[in-house]
Amino acid sequence: MSTLIERHIVSLLAEKDDKAISLLYENYGDTLFGVAYKVVKDEALAQDVLQESFIKIWKKADTYDASKAKLFTWLFRIVRNTSIDKLRSVNNKSDKEIQIDVSDVYNIGVKSINPEHLDIQENLDKIEDKYRIVLEALFFEGMTQQEASDELDIPLGTIKSRLKIGLRELGKIYGTTMSLLLLLNLLS
Amino acid sequence: MKEKVKLFLESDILEKYLLGDTTKEETQKAERYIAMYPEVRETYDILQNNLETFANLYAKKTPEGLKEILLASAKKETMVSKRFMRYAVAASIAIMIFAGSSLFFWNQNKTLQEENTMVTNQIKYLEDNMKDQLADMRNQFIVLNNPSTKKYQVKGEREAKELKAIAYINPVKKLSYINVSNVPQLPEDKCFQMWAEVNGELVNLGVIKNFDEKDKLLALPYADKAVGYITIEPKGGNNTPSVDNIVANINY
Repeated sequence: MSTLIERHIVSLLAEKDDKAISLLYENYGDTLFGVAYKVVKDEALAQDVLQESFIKIWKKADTYDASKAKLFTWLFRIVRNTSIDKLRSVNNKSDKEIQIDVSDVYNIGVKSINPEHLDIQENLDKIEDKYRIVLEALFFEGMTQQEASDELDIPLGTIKSRLKIGLRELGKIYGTTMSLLLLLNLLS
Repeated sequence: MKEKVKLFLESDILEKYLLGDTTKEETQKAERYIAMYPEVRETYDILQNNLETFANLYAKKTPEGLKEILLASAKKETMVSKRFMRYAVAASIAIMIFAGSSLFFWNQNKTLQEENTMVTNQIKYLEDNMKDQLADMRNQFIVLNNPSTKKYQVKGEREAKELKAIAYINPVKKLSYINVSNVPQLPEDKCFQMWAEVNGELVNLGVIKNFDEKDKLLALPYADKAVGYITIEPKGGNNTPSVDNIVANINY
């Protein structure tokens, strides 16, 4: 079920109206930038990723099918894949440099999560580590389930079940908070 | 819940589809199940919402000025696309012109090749024909000018009394010719046909037509003690001579 703003953005994208870019940026910019940052772990690279992703979104607007995915899901896939591609290309160029960046920026990433809407750290802490690690590996590290199983030394079946449970339980954990937030946003 | 729906939901295809990590077959399967089964659609919607919730946890304030950069990139891309479209249209037209002219020249080339083959064949035919005619002319010259050539007057008999012909036989050069100078009128369903008996075999020399070429010499096959005949045959000629209708003999 798409929201009114989603439908509006989609129709602007289809008309190649650059207001679509502004609206996308205002509504999804921080989240998408956060996703890119979480993957590449470098602010400048994350900016490049977002720029490339927005060009892809702009160019591929006519391929978006609202019956197949919510706008955010579609945007997320584009940003995630662009981030993973960018990270791989940078890693190929300079493995060593990226290793340093990874260790340097990981903590910054967690600390600098947007505090405007939610107490992120607190909410992240609500997800049991065993689920969060699996979700992050699959969502942000670009790992396949098999790769996550090998990397995290967890059986493939456990990876599958933790992904499933982690994703489905997220709704229960944040459902109340998100509903309140939505209500507050509507009232403001 | 149907067993296969349950099995599908228990598999990780829907989660992989959510992230865009499915194979082509898995994508088709996921889209089919989402479209067909409300419980799959519901689960998929929940997963999408949860994905957004999870991603929101990592939201990070975008840097100042990034929005302007993104807007400028989109505008630039639009201009590039429009320019590309213009080039694409121009290129398409150029390709169409090139394809059209190529087809035209290919057709021209094909026609010229066919004409060339035809002309070559005609030249060859004319050459062969000319050689035959030259050889014939030379033989005629030999026959008419050679002192050993004998001249025989041929006269028609019965209904072809008016037929007049002169045969020229040269036993040295083994050449013989005949000049039919007058042919009587025959009913429309009849014609004169010439034959030669050479070494006991009858050779069809063809139908004598209107004889408007009265000065033309017709070659006869040469043989010792050969006999020539002119017969009256049904219109169009006959395969074997009608002995009863022999109207002239040419012994040479």
